[in-house]
Amino acid sequence: MIQLDVRNICKNFGGMQALKDVSFSVCNNELIGLIGPNGAGKTTLTNVLDGVHKPASGQVWFNAQRVDALPPYEVARRGIGRTFQITRPFLRMTVLENMLVPAMALHPTARKRELRRRALEVLVFLTIERLADEYARSLSGGQQKLLELGRLLMLDPQLIILDEPFAGVHPKLRETISQFITTVNEQGKAFIIISHEMETIFTLSRRLLVLHWGQLIADGPPEVVRKDPAVIQAYLGAEEKARPAAGGAGNA
Amino acid sequence: MIPRPDRRWAATGALIALLAIAPLYLSQNTYRMSVVTGAFFYAILASSWVLLAGIAGQFSFAHMAMMGIGAYTSGLLGRELGTPPLVGIILGMLLAGVVGLVIGFLCLRLRRAYLALFTIAFSEILRLILLTEFQYTGGANGLRLAPLYKDITPVAGYYITLALLLGAMALMYGLAGSRFGLFMRAMREDQDAAAAMGVNVVRYKIMIFVVTSMIVGLAGATFYHQVGILTPNTMELLQMSLVIAMAIIGGIESLLGAAVGALVTRIGLELLREINIFGLHIELGSWRYAAFGLLLMFTLRFAQNGLFYPIINRLFPQRVQRALMTKRGERSERGAS
Repeated sequence: MIQLDVRNICKNFGGMQALKDVSFSVCNNELIGLIGPNGAGKTTLTNVLDGVHKPASGQVWFNAQRVDALPPYEVARRGIGRTFQITRPFLRMTVLENMLVPAMALHPTARKRELRRRALEVLVFLTIERLADEYARSLSGGQQKLLELGRLLMLDPQLIILDEPFAGVHPKLRETISQFITTVNEQGKAFIIISHEMETIFTLSRRLLVLHWGQLIADGPPEVVRKDPAVIQAYLGAEEKARPAAGGAGNA
Repeated sequence: MIPRPDRRWAATGALIALLAIAPLYLSQNTYRMSVVTGAFFYAILASSWVLLAGIAGQFSFAHMAMMGIGAYTSGLLGRELGTPPLVGIILGMLLAGVVGLVIGFLCLRLRRAYLALFTIAFSEILRLILLTEFQYTGGANGLRLAPLYKDITPVAGYYITLALLLGAMALMYGLAGSRFGLFMRAMREDQDAAAAMGVNVVRYKIMIFVVTSMIVGLAGATFYHQVGILTPNTMELLQMSLVIAMAIIGGIESLLGAAVGALVTRIGLELLREINIFGLHIELGSWRYAAFGLLLMFTLRFAQNGLFYPIINRLFPQRVQRALMTKRGERSERGAS
């Protein structure tokens, strides 16, 4: 069943067209990788999906409801959760307080004790429960990444958009985050993962979208996208066109 | 020995009791009485500014303007329409809330320096209108306000302002500790991330302007009915800076710290008017503000959490600090064994 339906999205910043006629859909439980060179429009697309930017034209539908005109908090409450390219925890708040923000926003009438219990369960799942009363600013970069994922789980979205979840993290933490994505995906949540970590994203995703200069140039299984001439050209440039396709985009 | 969690309540009770019996000593001198009453008023201004700027992250300079709106509304209604002070105070508080709503709405997209400059401009426009339209407002000569009630005594004024301070503190502590406070702090830290977590930042940003404007509107109207005269100078940038400085010296993220900071600095400034050292009589006059400025510079450079908040926090640590200290103690014990 189609959960997210992106229809002919265009977005301009002044004279620059950041997104050109982008269309795709995401079904329940899908795990999609979104790749593209720097400046391809990946983060702009994320900002359009979560309501930060309004598209110049086109529509975004989520669970059969149009969401492209909604503010970010309303999009979040409808079930689209996201992380940011650079982790943005609430630094002068404790880990537990960070976790309670989305929970309380989503469940205004729920008892605080119940929400705290749920938050502690999520922290146990992420193996950072011992940090519950620490201030977020005192956490390492990797722990802050985990906290951001924890906040997302408290929001309980149906579609999770992760912007560069593997950037600058230790290989062990990368493994933990991959495991987190797989487990949560198996629990029924759909993912769109933006990443430059080609090896990880090709292994993890079951479908890849490739953006280049704001246009969707490929959409398909990783093994097909890897050999797509347009993708190879986007990553390696026209002069590399003649080289063998195998491993081309994957090693970019 | 009283357990630590209860110490906070015991200390609060003792402080309130001390303030309640203080008029037994203070009432012998009307001047002292008025200084302490004025300090209570400044404590409301500083602590409510902390709620707005320190906790919610809205660095507004329009706080004194909101206070002035409450006071001028009540004063003008009383003079022009004969409205009783109590009704005037309530209407002044409501109008301050409405103006706070408009300012909050206009400032939705403004942050940090832009918000500060916008609110400075608003305050100055309002002050200049009040100064220029002297046929209504009395201009620089001031607007005379009727007393709160006939034959009000300085002791009654003291208790009324103290009650306002305690009421405002209770309300603000309630808000800061609620989900409203949690969202405020999340917005202060990162407005976009808070929105992505489902927080309606527009609603809460407007709400914080409305709430704090109503608090200072009520305080301003009530206080200036006791003072009896109100001039546009009370809303000038210098006065706003004084309130901000009190909050910074007390602790910009602490309601109690800011209130204590305001009380101590306001009373301190009065004590420094003239001092006697070894029989030498010195009139400090405006120099006391220079000393105040030095204290502010020292705080900003060396004690960014304020001078009073760290002391309060050390004596009466909050739940989170207690939990952290306990956990760290347990960890170090485990490490040792």
